[in-house]
Amino acid sequence: MTKLQAKNIVKHFDHNGTSVLALDGINLDVQEGDFVCIVGPSGCGKSTFLNILAGLEKPDDGEILLNGKPISMPGPDRTMVFQEGALFPWLNVIDNVEFGLKIAGIPKDERRQISQRYLDMMQLTKFADSYIYQLSTGMKQRVAIARAIALDPEILLMDEPFAALDSQTRDLLLVELQLIWERTKKTILFVTHNIAESVVLGNRVEIFKHRPSKIKKEIIIDYRRPRLAEDENLRKYQHEIIQELKSEIIEQKKAGD
Amino acid sequence: MFYVGLVIVWQLVSSSHFLSEQVIPSPFEVGKALIMGVKDGSLVYGIATSMWRLIVGLAIAIAGGTVLGIFIARYETVNQTIGSLLLGLQSIPSVAWVPLAFLWFGKTDGGVIFVTSIGALFAVAITTHSGIKSVPLEFIAAGKNMGASGLQLITSVILPASFPHLISGFKQGWSYAWRGVISAEVIFSVLGLGSLLNLGTKENNISQVIAILIVIMFIGILVDAFVFKRLERSIMSKWGPR
Repeated sequence: MTKLQAKNIVKHFDHNGTSVLALDGINLDVQEGDFVCIVGPSGCGKSTFLNILAGLEKPDDGEILLNGKPISMPGPDRTMVFQEGALFPWLNVIDNVEFGLKIAGIPKDERRQISQRYLDMMQLTKFADSYIYQLSTGMKQRVAIARAIALDPEILLMDEPFAALDSQTRDLLLVELQLIWERTKKTILFVTHNIAESVVLGNRVEIFKHRPSKIKKEIIIDYRRPRLAEDENLRKYQHEIIQELKSEIIEQKKAGD
Repeated sequence: MFYVGLVIVWQLVSSSHFLSEQVIPSPFEVGKALIMGVKDGSLVYGIATSMWRLIVGLAIAIAGGTVLGIFIARYETVNQTIGSLLLGLQSIPSVAWVPLAFLWFGKTDGGVIFVTSIGALFAVAITTHSGIKSVPLEFIAAGKNMGASGLQLITSVILPASFPHLISGFKQGWSYAWRGVISAEVIFSVLGLGSLLNLGTKENNISQVIAILIVIMFIGILVDAFVFKRLERSIMSKWGPR
């Protein structure tokens, strides 16, 4: 069943008074329970595309369907894990995880039950009462993931959540995220500029072309899980993506970015 | 320690008879005036009166100023109209509102509270506005993403996110309000510490005047230490040292 459908998404940017075409008619179907990665050069508009799916930005044209119904507003059925976490410094870890549940009006006892389950899943139980500034970057992203899944979204949107992590922490979280995905059966759409990351995570990797963005190619990765970042067998997929992106990077240079 | 030293220097100056008792009374005389005030209840009653006026006036200023600040921050038309007017209004010293307060309310509690709150209100509104404007967009995006909208977004994301800013506005508001209470009381002479100052002047009792000034100053120090320092510490314990 198709979970999320993006139909001909067009978006312009205002750049020093001139309108620049950022997204040039993006079509994407995400099936229920799938793990889809979007990979592309920096500034290719992949984060903008994710924001549009989340309802945080409006497309100039096209529509988004969730379970076949058009959506335009942001909502907890499409929770996002932000690049820098966007955790709330005035709340401790457990209250951050419960934020959306509280907004939804779920009673306190039930909230505690749910949040404890996800804190446990992300190995954060010890840090439940910590404030955000006391956490490492890796811990912060664990909280951000717990906070997003605790709302039991239809689809989990992830915007380069591991970009700021050191490589050991990232490798660990790459494995953990696959385990969480298998355990929760969530549909995940994961945006990254890191090719290795995309082939470790994705069942499908969508390669974004440089501005104006379009999906250039889709690569299916049918390989056992959990996959490890250093797995030699993933190299051929990486190589394939690099070849596709190489021409993009050259074009980007020509465009003078 | 510093205050003990200050009193000693003060005693030395006054006992040197370099200046007459009518200019600088001795700490002993001032102390006597303070004890007198406590004994006959006038000082205690004066403090209580001024404090409740302050609390009511400041509460109005914080509530009204915060709401006004939110409107200015959220609606560009409000910002361009009332927002620009605010800067002008804020430049009016509290004491300049006294004649208007007299005409509107007479020499009443209402008049004093009006002067107290109006001076603080604009300061609170302006800092609330700038506090809200400085909230990182990602917090707002995250709040919306998790289902918050409208009033809920304001109360559960925007206000707590700008709280460190709001505190500095409240602090500024309190200092304006405190000045406002005393100014209005001096002029209206309707009970409170300000009118005790006024009374001291009329009776040519310089010890009482200085005693009251010391009380006003100490209340300022205490409010800063017990209200604002605490609030700042609680923010630091959550947001971390910044």
